[in-house]
Amino acid sequence: MSDQFVQAIRAAEVFPGGMKAVELEGRELVICNCGGSFYAIDRRCGHMNAPLEMGTLDGPIVTCPMHCAQFDVTTGEALSGPVPPYLGNEIPPPRMGAMLKNVGTLMQHVRTESIATHKAKVESDWVWVAL
Amino acid sequence: MDTESRKQALRHFFGNVVGPMGFKFTPDADLAEFLLEQEVKLEAQHGIPFCPCQPIRRDRSRDMRIVCPCIPFHREHFDAMKRCWCGLFVHLDVTDPDSLPQVAAKEIGIE
Repeated sequence: MSDQFVQAIRAAEVFPGGMKAVELEGRELVICNCGGSFYAIDRRCGHMNAPLEMGTLDGPIVTCPMHCAQFDVTTGEALSGPVPPYLGNEIPPPRMGAMLKNVGTLMQHVRTESIATHKAKVESDWVWVAL
Repeated sequence: MDTESRKQALRHFFGNVVGPMGFKFTPDADLAEFLLEQEVKLEAQHGIPFCPCQPIRRDRSRDMRIVCPCIPFHREHFDAMKRCWCGLFVHLDVTDPDSLPQVAAKEIGIE
């Protein structure tokens, strides 16, 4: 990664605990404000590409809104894979059951990868990100 | 995914939850590390960090009562012991967790 910093957003646009998606030079990123410290991560979840800024940020841990995979925004490390859905005791209709079984079989082969992080700094009230 | 990283993540989330309930992680660091590691394994297996010291019965309504931290579901019992069933969490004022026995709810007239 180079240290060529690009102006991203005004620091005041994201409160502590918040996230904002940006597109910088064709790359989708999320700017995270962890208690006043800014971090930049790739926008797409390392599991199934869902937009992470629509999830939640708790301390340095972002939880994906799609299957609840979690990542450390300071390192990009994957902390947990998807949480399996609870289908209850109700037996789904046969066609839906077959579809769910198929999806489940495929999902078993989807790995949760760590995501890329980018250096971020605040200068002159703006957040700058290294691309 | 690394067990140590996941343990730290669970520590972060659990700490936020148990503090307002008047509990903290046990000062016995070895015990806390061991129990968190078991929970990481249970989470990898079931998708949920169940209490490592209580049986999973495959009955959702009962199993949800042992998702760590399960303090809200056993409040009276744990408050009486000043610890949770495993001992991962103790009351905020506890400094010597070894002095707190694990007592069944029935033995202290609860349930």
